[in-house]
Amino acid sequence: MYGVVTDGFAYSDLPTPLHDVVGAEGDPTRAAEAPTARQEIRYWTAAVLRQTPEEPLQPVPIGQVFVASDADVAQALRMDGYLYSATPSAIPIGLYTAAGLESPVYLDADFLIGPEAAHLNISGVSGLATKTSAVEFLLASIFEHFPAHKGKVAAVCFNVKGPDLCFLDQPGALSDEDRRRYERLAVPSRPFERVRMYAPLKADGVNLNTLRTHADLVHIVEPLTWGLAEVVDYAEVLLNRDDIDAKADAFIDFLRDRVLARTFDDGFGGTHRVQTFADLDRLFRAIFDGLELTSGGRSDTWRTHHIATIRKVRNRLSNISTRCKGLVTDDGPSSDLPWGAFEDRAVYVVDVANVDPLGQDLVFARAVSKLREHLERRDLGVDAVVVFVDELNKYAPGDGPDTYVKKMLLDISERGRYLGLVLFGAEQFRSQVHRRVVGNAATQLFGRMDMDELATPGYQVLSPATKIKLATLPIGELMVRHPHFTQPIFVRFPKPPVLRGRDGVERFPPAADLPFDDAVVRQLVRLDRRIRPNQVKDLIAERDEDDVRRALAAVRRTRPDDVLAYFRKVLGGRVSTDIPRERTAVPPLNPIADEPY
Amino acid sequence: MTWWDALAAAGAVPAAFAPPASRGWTDLDDGALPGAELIEEPDLAAHPVTSPALVRAACFLDGIQQWKVVSYDGVAPVIRAYVATAARRRGPNRRPRTLLESSREFAIAPLASMKPAVRRVLETTCPDVVDLPLDRDGGLQPGKVLELARRVVDGARQNLEREIAERSLAVLGPEEWLLVDGLLSVSGKLAAHPRALGVIKSHGAQFFDGANLERALTVPAGHRTSVFRARGGHARNEVYSWYLRLWPWEGQDLLYGLLRIEARADAATVAAASAISGWLCAERAPLATPDARWDRLLYPLQDVETYLKARAPRDLLSAPGSRLPRTGS
Repeated sequence: MYGVVTDGFAYSDLPTPLHDVVGAEGDPTRAAEAPTARQEIRYWTAAVLRQTPEEPLQPVPIGQVFVASDADVAQALRMDGYLYSATPSAIPIGLYTAAGLESPVYLDADFLIGPEAAHLNISGVSGLATKTSAVEFLLASIFEHFPAHKGKVAAVCFNVKGPDLCFLDQPGALSDEDRRRYERLAVPSRPFERVRMYAPLKADGVNLNTLRTHADLVHIVEPLTWGLAEVVDYAEVLLNRDDIDAKADAFIDFLRDRVLARTFDDGFGGTHRVQTFADLDRLFRAIFDGLELTSGGRSDTWRTHHIATIRKVRNRLSNISTRCKGLVTDDGPSSDLPWGAFEDRAVYVVDVANVDPLGQDLVFARAVSKLREHLERRDLGVDAVVVFVDELNKYAPGDGPDTYVKKMLLDISERGRYLGLVLFGAEQFRSQVHRRVVGNAATQLFGRMDMDELATPGYQVLSPATKIKLATLPIGELMVRHPHFTQPIFVRFPKPPVLRGRDGVERFPPAADLPFDDAVVRQLVRLDRRIRPNQVKDLIAERDEDDVRRALAAVRRTRPDDVLAYFRKVLGGRVSTDIPRERTAVPPLNPIADEPY
Repeated sequence: MTWWDALAAAGAVPAAFAPPASRGWTDLDDGALPGAELIEEPDLAAHPVTSPALVRAACFLDGIQQWKVVSYDGVAPVIRAYVATAARRRGPNRRPRTLLESSREFAIAPLASMKPAVRRVLETTCPDVVDLPLDRDGGLQPGKVLELARRVVDGARQNLEREIAERSLAVLGPEEWLLVDGLLSVSGKLAAHPRALGVIKSHGAQFFDGANLERALTVPAGHRTSVFRARGGHARNEVYSWYLRLWPWEGQDLLYGLLRIEARADAATVAAASAISGWLCAERAPLATPDARWDRLLYPLQDVETYLKARAPRDLLSAPGSRLPRTGS
């Protein structure tokens, strides 16, 4: 019979505290002077984890109690099935500690990454629950122990606050105790070897909008910029609840299907090829002008779309390019995650900490949707992707409107396991996250919890002692619920082997924003170290900044062998700004007849 | 099959009757007239106990007895009895651990009054049977049998206590004391040991009268009386004795918190009486609750009793309510 202690009681033969007061003659200092110690017992209740034989179900007999060994823990938690099988799929999550013994506890990759079950949810108060640390350690553990027969795995982490996930490739300080725990868990105590970071640009279009801009570290940070095509595909993200109607949807569909990246006749004599926000705005202006001129303002529909709908969509789309300038390029191509070329055991950090919330939603929605598309087509480069999203309270709240992001998180939660798209979500208040998002997480971790949160109905299954332990849980300890475990288990995990965000910012202070020309130089030099700064500065001197940005983006996207030559080519020749000659109209030779044929 | 089940099978009527005296024993006067000879001073006086007290290393000895009627052969009751005694040593961690213990479970029956077949079954199935020889003229009176059975059980318990007490003396440490719940004078070895004390809670036997009786029974809390030599009554071996009040009796009754202590009849006992009394006063804590006699019962002695009760046969004393008529189902 295997069990885990869930509660403890102490009994003595003291009927009421008053009897000891009387025994000490009311003097508290004499309370411990009694020549005989009162009889007292400690009584522990334990929840049965496993019994052998399992049939028939029997009551627990009175018997001797032993502290569990490693093998006992494996048996008790039913880990033997995936720990000692021919194709082991055990992922260490931490150490079960009791009475001076430490036994590794493993999760089953089939139930953590899929396909049997998937997803992980971690809850806990801010700062003390070590949610981010737990996920960082678990990712390291997954990368080390993810079974070869299950293929390749990568992680995409959204950094939504401060420098939390900006230094995953830098080693952090570990104590000897932490190193010993790493050794016990057979997880290397080194930072992630393959880290790629993506951050939008600032409004100037050349400086990175992230806290990882120190000269020694910025080389792994790629700009994340999207153009019109990328945004319009996810235009629903930009529309608030009041905007969601069939008309706006229809018009966006029309733009997507009939206008974007096509040669399009506006019906007023103009021809457009819309590839950028600027092109789109020109089309909108042409439509408004056309309606005004051709019908004298009396017509209010264009291609069956009401002018108010067109104005609303134009407003939303142009709004995003203004609010998320740097992420959304008003006029230029995109720079994106390496869809189709994801590497095994690589972490892709998308830093949206300094992006407008609307832009965060857009980044999140598009990145996850693209992951899903590629995983469905099996052409992402890896077989499974762990997506780490913090602040689920914000992105998938239990109440509030059904946003696009929430619907997408629900979709991942419910169907992601078949694709290998695994959600690792974290939040402060589990009770306030959508039930289906947390409910579909097969593995649930709990750090230090707030007592108010523990008083909510979702925690009724926990004993009072477990709740008290959760409310006082030290840093580095978690309660784990996993499909194979019949009871929640407390484990201790080592500090993650990476530099903490705050420490990283202190050790590698972010670089100040560079002037436009220096920022351009830095980006080009990063692509080709042979480039001399003066060459670039001469090239872009007195050039329009938008042209330079566009050329820079083209270089980033193309990655040519000769960076400077390609940059020069894309930038084009210097054209003097001549005043165009006035063109006089040539009158027709013959007056136009009334005859229509 | 137990021997009482075998009796039932042989034709005896099963019973479950626990007489009121069956759950313990009383310290009532056995009829002999006690007397006292003052040793410490001519008149009985009250002396304050020494404070702060020196708590001494000690073993504590107590016994229990339980019995009940398990069947009737005609009107002859057959009794199942259990007596047990233990000595528990208080260790440096202030927790008592058992030093010595002994128990006896036996049957008591007026064998001569039983049917031969039932008697044969009793004698063959029960390894320890005590016969109750009845007065031929008085005939078989169940009430009288029960009183005789009580005395047999008392005697068995006292024998066991004496045996364990004397064995305990042999293993006492050089500075260790033995505190016995009850009379010291029942054993010559106990009565003569320099570090043995009897603690008597019941005061059926009164050693004084007149003014001395009043002084003895109204001795204030934290005081002892003069030491006297106890004579007669239970005292088969000479011991010195004194009264000690643990708790104020005012507002309660005369015997509230009143102990009588027995110790070796020696001049050293007189010299040490106040210090020993101070020690016993210190033993008031922790209170021996929830026992109703907590005002006189020292906690380590209660601990021995609790220990023995915990090890007694669970099925001997019926639970309250079990005498309700049995339903048909």
